[in-house]
Amino acid sequence: MASASSVSSAPASSAPSAPPFRQRPWVRWALPLLLLVVLVVAPLVLSEGVNETLARIGVFAVAVLGLNVVMGYTGQVSLGQIFFLGVGAYVTAYGVQNDWNIVGVFALACLIPAVAGLLVALAAARLGGLAIAMVTIALPIVGVPLAKRLSEFTGGSQGLSARFAETPEWTGLYDDQWQLYVVLVIGGLVFVLTRALVRGKYGRAFAIVRGNENVASSMGISPYRYKVLAFTIASLIGGVSGFLYMLVIQYTSPETMSFGHSIELLAAMVIGGAGSIVGSLLGGAYYVLIPELTNQVDPNLTSLLQGAILLVVLFLLPGGLASLPRALTRGRRRTRVGRGPAATPSTPSSTTGSATAEPAPTERQGHA
Amino acid sequence: MAAELTLQDVSLQFGGIKVLQEVSFTVEPGQIFGLVGPNGAGKTSLFNCISGHYKPTAGSVRIDGTEVQGSRPATLAGHGLARTFQHPALQLGETVLENVLLGAHTRLPGGALEWAVRSPRTRRAEKELRAEALDLLERNGLGWAAHVPADELSHGLHKGVELCRALLMKPRLLLLDEPAAGLPHEEVEQLIATVRRLRSEDDITVVIVEHHMGLIAALTDRVVVLDHGAKLMEGTAAEAQSDPRVIEAYIGKDAA
Repeated sequence: MASASSVSSAPASSAPSAPPFRQRPWVRWALPLLLLVVLVVAPLVLSEGVNETLARIGVFAVAVLGLNVVMGYTGQVSLGQIFFLGVGAYVTAYGVQNDWNIVGVFALACLIPAVAGLLVALAAARLGGLAIAMVTIALPIVGVPLAKRLSEFTGGSQGLSARFAETPEWTGLYDDQWQLYVVLVIGGLVFVLTRALVRGKYGRAFAIVRGNENVASSMGISPYRYKVLAFTIASLIGGVSGFLYMLVIQYTSPETMSFGHSIELLAAMVIGGAGSIVGSLLGGAYYVLIPELTNQVDPNLTSLLQGAILLVVLFLLPGGLASLPRALTRGRRRTRVGRGPAATPSTPSSTTGSATAEPAPTERQGHA
Repeated sequence: MAAELTLQDVSLQFGGIKVLQEVSFTVEPGQIFGLVGPNGAGKTSLFNCISGHYKPTAGSVRIDGTEVQGSRPATLAGHGLARTFQHPALQLGETVLENVLLGAHTRLPGGALEWAVRSPRTRRAEKELRAEALDLLERNGLGWAAHVPADELSHGLHKGVELCRALLMKPRLLLLDEPAAGLPHEEVEQLIATVRRLRSEDDITVVIVEHHMGLIAALTDRVVVLDHGAKLMEGTAAEAQSDPRVIEAYIGKDAA
């Protein structure tokens, strides 16, 4: 941790002598490596049920991540994310049923939702504010009857089922293990890429479009273009989650993209943590686990219990579950500042420095 | 290269209200130019016409002879224009450094895909501009605050951070909207020193909207006085302060 001595010398040299724990070189390498090992080993040792649940969490974590790009990071309320998951799932199912090459199917499952999202965003982002929310509400509402009508492609109300990505024999894996590995690889890749994107140039641009459009535009950032970009990326990620959905659940129907699911996805994002990568994972876990949990308590009270959980989490942690560590460290820092001598921030004295100059463990902080 | 700014007959109307009436003046490259006048004279509206946040009803705004009237603010950044706001709008949860780095946006190369895969080019550019931002903070006495979340700083320091953010854009024309508003005396002195250094070190044209006559007198080469949306006079700060029309416009206010 940055010590008082390194801070008081800060005006002379900008580099702190001891980088904070999370930014030390060995920590930056060791933690991801450890995570990787755990992810590789876990599917082999866990039971079939747990593996399947983890795979489903992965699917919805990706969907929540997409929603986070447009809503958490860029601040544009989207109520239609589930639509893009649905389109991705249908494209995948249709492609598999027609024996298309699976790589091509994946590409189309990304591309078609992305183009659909781009077209919607080009119109919706002109409106700004809550109008975007109103336009995106239309997506699942139109999507469900549309999927029923286009029965030639979608199988109508009965939906489509498709089994693909049979476990290759040379791996010696069971189906649940193989599926989880595929979800981990594709989902993990999406997470890594998105994490890099929402830091640095684009992360700052998205954040200022959310924070203050006037400032954004005076920095040379066109709010319109960045809203469209964020929405398109969210739709693309939604398409990826649709592909994974077909892999894991192997069945899709118009019900997949119902409005209710879209709202649940949004609640999951808020509970996990808006504008947070870890929050997206937690949101996926919430989306999958909480309904099962509340169903076990009392199937009649499922909605009520979920609503109660939503309220409690938001009351205690407005930033979602992912903000828990930050809320704790911030609280500690506040009390330390409060106990110290009266802070006079205009003069960089060593006392105010020692209390405040530690880099906060915020998300979006780029690499040092 | 410092930019030249020319306004010709700029008018702005909101419904039936004439906010600006045929305002014309030229700011020479490298000048520090003051825009003064009583409250409601239309100073900030004029600013917004220059920066593209308002679209003038009539007239022309040129930067180095290029017509920019009607351009979007995001395009104007490409013409070398940067501005600060009357009420600094920082990302409060972010660190000071991240806030300043926002100013580097147009200088960072690469599209979304390139940044998602963190190509070597984007890594290098980010690293360079990070160092430049730290240096800029250092030079403006804010180096110690680089890693402090913005919401832990005072109002006066926010203004300093906002100025650094604008400077990281490497502007040729800088618009400062009431930089001294709400600052204690000693910070106004610092601000004066900073703006003076800007001109000598960075080769930049500065336009300041300000009530603080001390600051205007200490800094500006030339001023335009606005009253009721029209240009009252143009000259040096000393001339403005002794002009009877200006004193009249300010009567009951702090004119001296």
